[in-house]
Amino acid sequence: MDLKNIFHKENCLILQEKTKTEALHEMIESLTSAGHVTDPEELQREIFYREQLMSTGIGMGIAVPHVRYKGVTEPVAALGISHGGIEDYESIDNEPVFLVVMIIVGENQHKQHIRLLSQIMEKLKDNDRRTALFAAQTGEEIYSLMTGTGDE
Amino acid sequence: MNSFSHILESFSPGNFNMILLLGMVLFLGSAGGRLFQRIRIPQVVGYIAIGIILGQSGFRFISAESIGNLQGFSSFALALIGFMIGGELKIQTIRKYGNQFTWILLLEAMGAFVVVGALVTAGGYFLFGDFRLALALGLLLGAISSATAPAATTDVLWENKTRGPLTTTVLGLVAMDDGVALLLFALATSVAGALIGTSTAGLGMSLLLLLWEIGGSILIGSLMGWGLSKLIRGYIAEDKILVFSLGLILLIIGLTQILDLDTILCAMSMGFFMVNFAPKKSRILFNLVEKFTPPIYVLFFVMVGAKMNIRNINGLVAILAALFLVGRTGGKFLGATVGAVVSKAPETVRRYLPFCLLSQAGVAVGLSVVAGQTFPDPLGSIIVMVVTTTTFVVQLIGPPSVKFAVDRAGETGLNITEEDLLSRSKASDLMTNRTMIGEGQTIEQILHIFSTQDDLVYPVVNREKKVIGIITIDNLKDTFIASELSPFLLAHDIMIPLVGTCPEDATGAEAFALMKKNNRDYLSLTDKEGNCVGILEERTARKKLSFKIMELQRKADALG
Repeated sequence: MDLKNIFHKENCLILQEKTKTEALHEMIESLTSAGHVTDPEELQREIFYREQLMSTGIGMGIAVPHVRYKGVTEPVAALGISHGGIEDYESIDNEPVFLVVMIIVGENQHKQHIRLLSQIMEKLKDNDRRTALFAAQTGEEIYSLMTGTGDE
Repeated sequence: MNSFSHILESFSPGNFNMILLLGMVLFLGSAGGRLFQRIRIPQVVGYIAIGIILGQSGFRFISAESIGNLQGFSSFALALIGFMIGGELKIQTIRKYGNQFTWILLLEAMGAFVVVGALVTAGGYFLFGDFRLALALGLLLGAISSATAPAATTDVLWENKTRGPLTTTVLGLVAMDDGVALLLFALATSVAGALIGTSTAGLGMSLLLLLWEIGGSILIGSLMGWGLSKLIRGYIAEDKILVFSLGLILLIIGLTQILDLDTILCAMSMGFFMVNFAPKKSRILFNLVEKFTPPIYVLFFVMVGAKMNIRNINGLVAILAALFLVGRTGGKFLGATVGAVVSKAPETVRRYLPFCLLSQAGVAVGLSVVAGQTFPDPLGSIIVMVVTTTTFVVQLIGPPSVKFAVDRAGETGLNITEEDLLSRSKASDLMTNRTMIGEGQTIEQILHIFSTQDDLVYPVVNREKKVIGIITIDNLKDTFIASELSPFLLAHDIMIPLVGTCPEDATGAEAFALMKKNNRDYLSLTDKEGNCVGILEERTARKKLSFKIMELQRKADALG
């Protein structure tokens, strides 16, 4: 999958909120105002239900909230950078989260779901890119770091 | 007004048009069969009873003329029965039971012939005071008494899905003792002709005719079987195979009628050839033909009942019929038992075989009609009436006694196909696994479940234990590309919606039909409250079924 079709500049943001709940709301709002999802209440419910089952903070300062959801027909993702770190994310390594990738796929896109997750994880495994993302100052910067063609 | 009276007339008994009559016969006949089955009497008896009620003895809804018009169906039924019996006679089986067959066949047929012959001759002499007439009567009725009706007997066997030495012996015997009966009848006719001085063909001539009848039937049947097995080789479509087979069976009927051959024997040879020389294709073929047979059988048996006329029975006939019945039953019991002992047949055969040899029908009645046409009255008509009367009695007690015998011998229900088992079993019995996956379980944990258990589909439940989806092996496979994610991926992330639910007490067949409809090879079983109790998987269910069938087969093999 071409990440250019999945990430959009307007969904790449520097997070203002400091708590997990607020930060996730901020990202959902960005997706909603950009018109990428309909029925944001349902999306919230899904996202927070999933977080309840098990936190998506997977360590290394990264969190990957992800859901299958009927409000989209094609996969879409948002990426938020928190410079101060989100302390209450309950990551697996108990460290604060600096990068949140929210991945949303259509209700029946089971395969795309896993593939997209794996593809994004592959990108974030790269130390240099991760450090650059953590330090990014604008949405533009985040977007080009994630979709950049440098090492495709 | 005119047309109204015309309509009224059409509804008066005996005036039904053929289609209405057929409809009535099939409808009431199968209803009767079902009714009798409920009270554990073989369905055949129900068909015949309905026939008796509708026919000559009862309301005469079925006129003698209609019976004549429907004669073709009887030939069709007999040919089908012959064909199906032939299909049961595998060379292997015959080799295994051959010795047994021959001894029992000769002794039970001869037993009936001798005992009936002696009793009827004695009784006839007492009644008529004419030894020659009495002896002729004894010989002819004795010969006729040796025949056993395959139709009613095999119908009980097939209805009860029997398998084992008794079943095999009975099938072989009923198929072949018509040959012995024909032989004895040919001999008896010649001797009787000589005794009462009618000019029938000489002994040599009738033996030659008999040789033609038996040899010709086997030859033509085998040729047809050979042709059919060549023809169906190129056909895969089931409907074409069915049409071909039925076409050939009808051809056989027509040909045997023209050539004066034995229809049952001929059809049997065809079935025998098919099953032994083209076993794979013929299994499909026999299954197809078997599905086609029920309406023909119902029609046939109802007609058998309709033809009987209890109003013709008088004192003389009653006495001779009683002697015939006692002699035939005693002779068959004695002959079959001695035959079984001599040939060292399994105990079940020795004890219960005689109960399976009581039925008499088509061949006996046919021979009596031949006798009726060959010999002048009173001999001719007495034979027809005695045989008709005894057939009436025996057809009603024969099938239940077959049922009794196979039940006692423990052979009932052993010849079950996967299909039968499926319609008898409950969906929940076919389920192998009740494991459920919690939606918060990780891929690693799910992998563990899949690797330690047999199933490929599991229900996913939420904290309230409500089923919210399923995980199949395919969903699990999809996660392999993201194996580094497996500690973080949950059942919730990969489950798919549940398609198709079915109550756990539905039959296996219903559950399988639902799967087919949903285009899935699994479905969820629910209890009375609609809660999922587990997933039924076609693959594991079929495995369970075939184990069960193998177990039944072993049981049947263990019988001897």
